[in-house]
Amino acid sequence: MKKLIFLLSKEFRQIRRNPFMIRAIIAVPVLQMLILVPAVTFEVKRIDLAVIDNDRSQASRELVAKLTGSSFFVVAATPATVTEAESMLFSGDADIALVIPPDFSEGLAGVTRPRLQVLVDAVNATSAQLSWSYLTSVVRDFNRDVIVSTGMMPGNTTALSGGSVPGISVSPRYWYNPTLNYKYYMLPGVLVILITAIGLMMSGLNLVREKESGTIEQINVTPVMKWQLIASKIIPFFIIGLLDLALGLSIGWLAFNIPFEGSLLLFFACAAIFLVAVLGLALFFSTMASTQQQFLFVAFFFVMIFILMSGIFTPTESMPLWAQQFNWVNPVAYLMRINRMVMLKGSGFSDIMRDMGMLTVLAFSYLTLAIRAYRKRA
Amino acid sequence: MNAVDATSITQRFGKITAVDDVSFTVREGELFGFIGPDGAGKTTLFRIAATLIIPTGGRMNLFGLNVVSDFRELRNHIGYMPGRFSLYTDLTVEENLQFYATIFGTTIHENYYLIEPIYKQIEPFRKRLAGRLSGGMKQKLALSCALIHKPRILILDEPTTGVDAVSRTEFWEMLEGLKREGITIIVSTPYMDEALRCDRIALMQQGKLMGIDTPAAIRSSYGKRIYAVSHRDRYRLLLALRAMTEAVGPEPFGEAVHITLREGASVEDVKKSLERAGLEGAEATEITPGIEDVFLGLMNRSESLKV
Repeated sequence: MKKLIFLLSKEFRQIRRNPFMIRAIIAVPVLQMLILVPAVTFEVKRIDLAVIDNDRSQASRELVAKLTGSSFFVVAATPATVTEAESMLFSGDADIALVIPPDFSEGLAGVTRPRLQVLVDAVNATSAQLSWSYLTSVVRDFNRDVIVSTGMMPGNTTALSGGSVPGISVSPRYWYNPTLNYKYYMLPGVLVILITAIGLMMSGLNLVREKESGTIEQINVTPVMKWQLIASKIIPFFIIGLLDLALGLSIGWLAFNIPFEGSLLLFFACAAIFLVAVLGLALFFSTMASTQQQFLFVAFFFVMIFILMSGIFTPTESMPLWAQQFNWVNPVAYLMRINRMVMLKGSGFSDIMRDMGMLTVLAFSYLTLAIRAYRKRA
Repeated sequence: MNAVDATSITQRFGKITAVDDVSFTVREGELFGFIGPDGAGKTTLFRIAATLIIPTGGRMNLFGLNVVSDFRELRNHIGYMPGRFSLYTDLTVEENLQFYATIFGTTIHENYYLIEPIYKQIEPFRKRLAGRLSGGMKQKLALSCALIHKPRILILDEPTTGVDAVSRTEFWEMLEGLKREGITIIVSTPYMDEALRCDRIALMQQGKLMGIDTPAAIRSSYGKRIYAVSHRDRYRLLLALRAMTEAVGPEPFGEAVHITLREGASVEDVKKSLERAGLEGAEATEITPGIEDVFLGLMNRSESLKV
C-alpha cells in the first residue's frame, strides 16, 4: 500500500510536470463544451429559397412574403427558369426551388387547380425533411387564409397540401425539453465524449509512453506487483476524468443554463463505473501497442465507432439489429442513455438500474481482460 | 554456490535464434564480461538473466534461484541497467533514486554507503531533471538506481556505450570498487579495452559463445604469431597485404596493420612482396596478441568454417 501511494505520487508529479497534460486537462472540457454543444445541431435555421414566380400576381407575392415572414426562409434568388433554379441547387446556393405556375392566382380564384412545384436538395435527408415540413406548414397557413377570406376551397379540391381546415387541433406539449432546445439534448452526450477522451486516450498514451521510453523495463525488474503498477496507472486518470466531468458540467450550467433534474451522486457514480470500463480498454489497447502512434490509431478507431454508435446523434433504437447488439459491449452507449435520463428527465436509480448493471459488468470484464493481457515480462 | 549457472540457454524470436545453446557459470563476486558485435545476443541473454524474458530452452539459475520460476524472489537481488537510458527523464536525479529505493522497500539512507562514491559526483545536480544530464552523469545515476537496493548481482548491458572516454574509465573504476564490496557483476561491452578489466570474458557471436577465459589466457591461447606491419602509406599497405597470399587476415589497428602468416611463409617473404608492390621500408614486428586479435581471429575462423 505504501508502495502504491508512492507510485501514485510519482504519476501525479509527472502529470503536473507535463505542460501538455495540464493544458489538455483544462482545455479539453472547456473547448468541447463551448464548441460542440452549440455547434452540433440538427436544427434547420436558414433555408435558402430560389423562387421562380411565373404568375407574378398579388397572390404569389403574398405566398413568398409569408414564407420569408417566417424566420426560416430567405429568398436567395428569383431565377427566370427552372433550369437556372436547378443549377442553384447544384451549386448549393439554394436549398429549395419553389416553382409558382402561371395560373396560380386563377387557381386560387377557383378557375383551375393551383399547383406548386417544390424541388428540395435532399443530400441531407434530415434537413430536407425539416425544410419540407416547414414549407408545407407555411403553405397550409396560406391556404387557410385564402379559405377564410374567400369562404371557399380553392380549385374545388384540397389541392394545396392536405390541410385540416375545419378539423381537430392538436397542441403538443414537449416533456423534459419543453422548448425543444437541441443543446439540452447534446450536452449530456458531449460530457460522455469528454470523459471517453480523457479516460481512454490520455491514460493509454501515458501507459505506452513508459513502454516507448523504456522506463517500464526498469520497473519490470523490480519487485513491484502487477496490480500496484496497474492501479498506479489507472487511478490518476480516474480522478482526472471525474474532475473534468465536474468542470464540463459547471460549464454547462454557466454557459448554457442546462437543467439538471436528477441526482448528482447517481450521475457521478455512473460516470465512475464508465471510467473503469474505458480505463480497462485503454490498458488493454496499450498492451497491444508498442508505440504511442500505434496506440492512437487503435484507440481512435474504437472511440470513433463507440461514439457514433452510442446514439449521440441518432437514436440507437432506429439502428439495425446488429448495431443494437454491438451496443451491448459499447460502454459509451450506456452512459449516453444514463446521462440524458438523469440530467434531463431526472430518472432515479430504479429507472437506470439495468443500464448501470450492464455497465458494471462491462467495466469488470474490460478490466479483467486488460489485467490478464498485461505482462511484466515476455 | 555460483552466482550464475546457465545451461543450454536458447532464445528464438520467430525464425531468428538470438541465443543459441549458451552455457556458462559466473562465480560469486566475479566481474564477468561479455564481448561481441551488435546482434551477438548479449542483450537477449541479459534480459533472460534479469527475469524479463522466459527463454525458449535451457535453464538459468542466479544464486540457486531459477530465473523463470523464482523470479519474484530473484527480483529483490538483481540490479539491472538496460542498454538504453531508462530512468524517468521528467523526474529529478533525487526523485529517480528515491523512486527506486521506495519500490524496493528500502531508503536512500540505508544503502547510501554503497552508492556514495558514484552518487556523490552527481549529488550537486540532484534537483536537476534526469533528462537534462550529460551522458556520463546519466550513466552514474542509472548505476546508482540499480544499486540502491543493494543487489547481489549487477547486470549491466553495454553501460558505457555513448559515454565519453573519461567517464568510461571512471565507470570501470566504480565497477571494481563494487566488486570489492562482494557484488557479482556481469557486463557486456563492445570495447575490447574494457574487456581486459574483467576477471573473465566470454566471446559471443551470432548467438553462440565462442570461448570463455581470463583475458590473459585467451590471448595466450591464440597460438599464432601476430605481426604489426607499418608503412607511411597505410592505405596502400592494407591493400597490398590483402592482395598477397603470404599474409592472413590483415586488420588495421591504429598506425599498423596486424597480420598472421600463412603456413610456410616468413616475415621476409612479406617484406619482399611489399617491396615488389612498391612499398619499400615497411616495418614488421612480432607482438603479443590482444583481445581484439583473438576475437577477430575467432570470427574469421568461424566464417571460413561456414564456407
